[in-house]
Amino acid sequence: MLQYILKRILEMIPILFIVSILIFFFTHLIPGDPARLVAGKDATLEEVTIIRAELGLDKPIWDQYITYMSNLFQGDLGTSLKTGLPVSEMFADRFMPSIYLTFMSMGWALVLGLLIGTLSAVFKNKWPDYLGMVTAVSGISMPGFWLGLILIQIFSVQLGWLPTGGAESWKSYILPSITLGAGIMSMLARFTRSSLLETLRADFIRTGRAKGLKESVVIPKHALRNSLIPVVTIAGLQFGFLLGGSVVVETVFSFPGMGRLLIDSIAFRDYPVIQAELLLFSIEFILVNLIVDIMYSMLNPKIRYVS
Amino acid sequence: MRRVNVWKMLFVALVSAILLAGCSSEESGGTSEKENSGKSASGKDQELVIAVNENFISMDPHNTGDTNSNSVQTAMLEGLLGSDEEGQIIPQLAEEYSVSDDALEYSFKLRQGVTFHDGEPFNAEAVKTSFERIMNDESLRLNSRGFNLITSIDVIDDYQVKVTLKEPYAGMLTRFVSAKILSPKLINDSSSDIGKTPVGTGPFKFVEWVQGDHLTVERFDDYWNKADRVKKITYKPVPENGSRVAMLKTGEAHVIYPAPVQNLKELESNSDVEIHKIPSTIARYVSINTMKEPYDDVRIRQAINYAVNKEAFISVVNSGYGLPLDSIIPSKTQFYSKQETYDHNIEKAKKLMKEAGFEDGFNAEIWGNTNSDTLKGMQFIQQQLKEIGITVEIKSMEEGTLSDEIYGAQTPEEAKVQMWYVSWSAYPSDTTNATKPLFSSSSFPPDGANTAYYKNDDVDKWITEVNQTADPDKQAEIYSNIQSTIYKDAPWIFLGVDEILAGSRSNVEGVFISPTGGINVTDANLK
Repeated sequence: MLQYILKRILEMIPILFIVSILIFFFTHLIPGDPARLVAGKDATLEEVTIIRAELGLDKPIWDQYITYMSNLFQGDLGTSLKTGLPVSEMFADRFMPSIYLTFMSMGWALVLGLLIGTLSAVFKNKWPDYLGMVTAVSGISMPGFWLGLILIQIFSVQLGWLPTGGAESWKSYILPSITLGAGIMSMLARFTRSSLLETLRADFIRTGRAKGLKESVVIPKHALRNSLIPVVTIAGLQFGFLLGGSVVVETVFSFPGMGRLLIDSIAFRDYPVIQAELLLFSIEFILVNLIVDIMYSMLNPKIRYVS
Repeated sequence: MRRVNVWKMLFVALVSAILLAGCSSEESGGTSEKENSGKSASGKDQELVIAVNENFISMDPHNTGDTNSNSVQTAMLEGLLGSDEEGQIIPQLAEEYSVSDDALEYSFKLRQGVTFHDGEPFNAEAVKTSFERIMNDESLRLNSRGFNLITSIDVIDDYQVKVTLKEPYAGMLTRFVSAKILSPKLINDSSSDIGKTPVGTGPFKFVEWVQGDHLTVERFDDYWNKADRVKKITYKPVPENGSRVAMLKTGEAHVIYPAPVQNLKELESNSDVEIHKIPSTIARYVSINTMKEPYDDVRIRQAINYAVNKEAFISVVNSGYGLPLDSIIPSKTQFYSKQETYDHNIEKAKKLMKEAGFEDGFNAEIWGNTNSDTLKGMQFIQQQLKEIGITVEIKSMEEGTLSDEIYGAQTPEEAKVQMWYVSWSAYPSDTTNATKPLFSSSSFPPDGANTAYYKNDDVDKWITEVNQTADPDKQAEIYSNIQSTIYKDAPWIFLGVDEILAGSRSNVEGVFISPTGGINVTDANLK
């Protein structure tokens, strides 16, 4: 297993190399001149030219690429065109809040999603099932933007319990994580329900029950465990999207995260920030996939990885 | 059966909890407001929170282009000159100043007994260090705007400085407002920190800046003007309108800027909140490419102006907040002179169209960014011009792409733009910046923002002339000619001037918003 993990990590190197090339050239393909955007609309051509030279944008694209890659190999992510700050410094303030938010959203989405899905399956076509599925459908259909504003209205403006935004204390994370996790929770609930229902119809469950196993053993130990593989796949994919896809939620809650930084950077054609952030998301995505694969074999010992 | 009962009980309990919470909302809301905004009886130990709509870009005052960064900087840093509530220039770190008749020499008598936040004394040498930084670093924004014209900075004595320019530049006084004086120690020892942790002489000193989350400043107790002010100010970027409004309502923020138009009614009905409407220097217009057919005919441009109802524009697009643009510059700009506006007159417009040979109208194209307000504005123009037979096609482009399309053209012949829906904001004290980049023939893209490709030899001559004199009466006379000539030539559809909207809690004192949208907190206090 350890060998397999090592192999997968080594495989990441060529993948990331290709990804970094794609990111670099695609970023430079976006229309819009960063020097002009940085200079502002009242800038003269002379100012724009000075800024372009200052930012190294007047050099041929291959030169720029070589500089970018050699800096990258030295662990230097570059300097933001917009703020003039090192990209790593800009990430430092925002990376951890984003990670906390992602884990918190994923955490409660997993717990509640599995719980609702399991209860719905166990009490199929009874009222807990209806209630669970109504919650799940609502969670999927409510746009994050709208849900966020409603939550702010109820819990911040009306009740005054929680802050409207920011990331100063653990309280600031509650509303954004609910908003961000709602869709995933619902999806997990539905997947768990259908997967569990299918497993419950399987022969080995009937055999277990026939042998006189209690429901409290059959369901969590045999049925649920075997139903989790599709759920883990979905959770893994969603987790990857969560890391980068929280833009809307971060905007509503003025949350200082990576998603908002990416959008701001794209608007300004801040190439170094866009490139570094996309690369980071790619690494995270690949790592999450690796973890998902490892979890498969933990859930179902029949799945074995050979190096 | 028993299990179902437990579920039912849980469900009932949950619903009751939500209902109870909802019923007691006003009471608890009130408590939280008190907790947030009334920590102690005396305002001077309190913290003021200001929520703005965008992130701050840099704290380097010599390289700032955005209003929000500039607002925060003015709390910490001061220039030789400052600006008042109306945006007009007043002495700040200089007690007195004078300009020579040939507009080449600027002499300043400095304020004594001022210290920087790091304990360094403020004197003529400190001024020289800051100004030399701007002069010597080409990449700084202020360098290309006036400071590259400086030939010498002479220290007369500890508290007197003279700056000499190689050619006259009327916007120079405004540049002295922007050129905040930084601690010489910071510039000499750790210049790379200027953009992150500035050190100046202002009423507040820098504490911390968490990117994207907040920037905090603290009262500087050795400030030269000993008036009472709050202990701490936290600036927060909150881009979402609804969230900013919620923060003002809960008391989490004491001041929000801008206040969204769609929430004004709800905010005005709240007794704890005050709304401020400030006439701005933001001009809204559509530039018309005067070198393209049929727009090269002044009658067509005038017809377009007569066809657009400016009052309706303000009520439809700006929700009723704003004033008609009755000159080429907003009324808060220095040397403004009111012109006779193009009143809404379809008959006159049709007559002009007929005279120009376009009785049946023509097809036109208008460009703008993807902002929803811009789109609304362009649709308004489309609807108004239909009345005189002009069929307008709207092309909405993302800002970067739009900028490429506009500034990509190297010559007027290459330019594809017909009409551009845009806005311009200049300092109230800098009429040069409100005219030269927009109407001088030396400012055709990509050199400047004269996207109307407007060329009038008289105007070109006047723009040069007005910059070569320091006599305000003469400047006023020339600017008056410039305004009336251009307004008649109609290179723009003159639409409106924005009113800036800001909201504050009713216990806030001494905070004002300038016509450019800058937030001044020098005397900020909480009752």
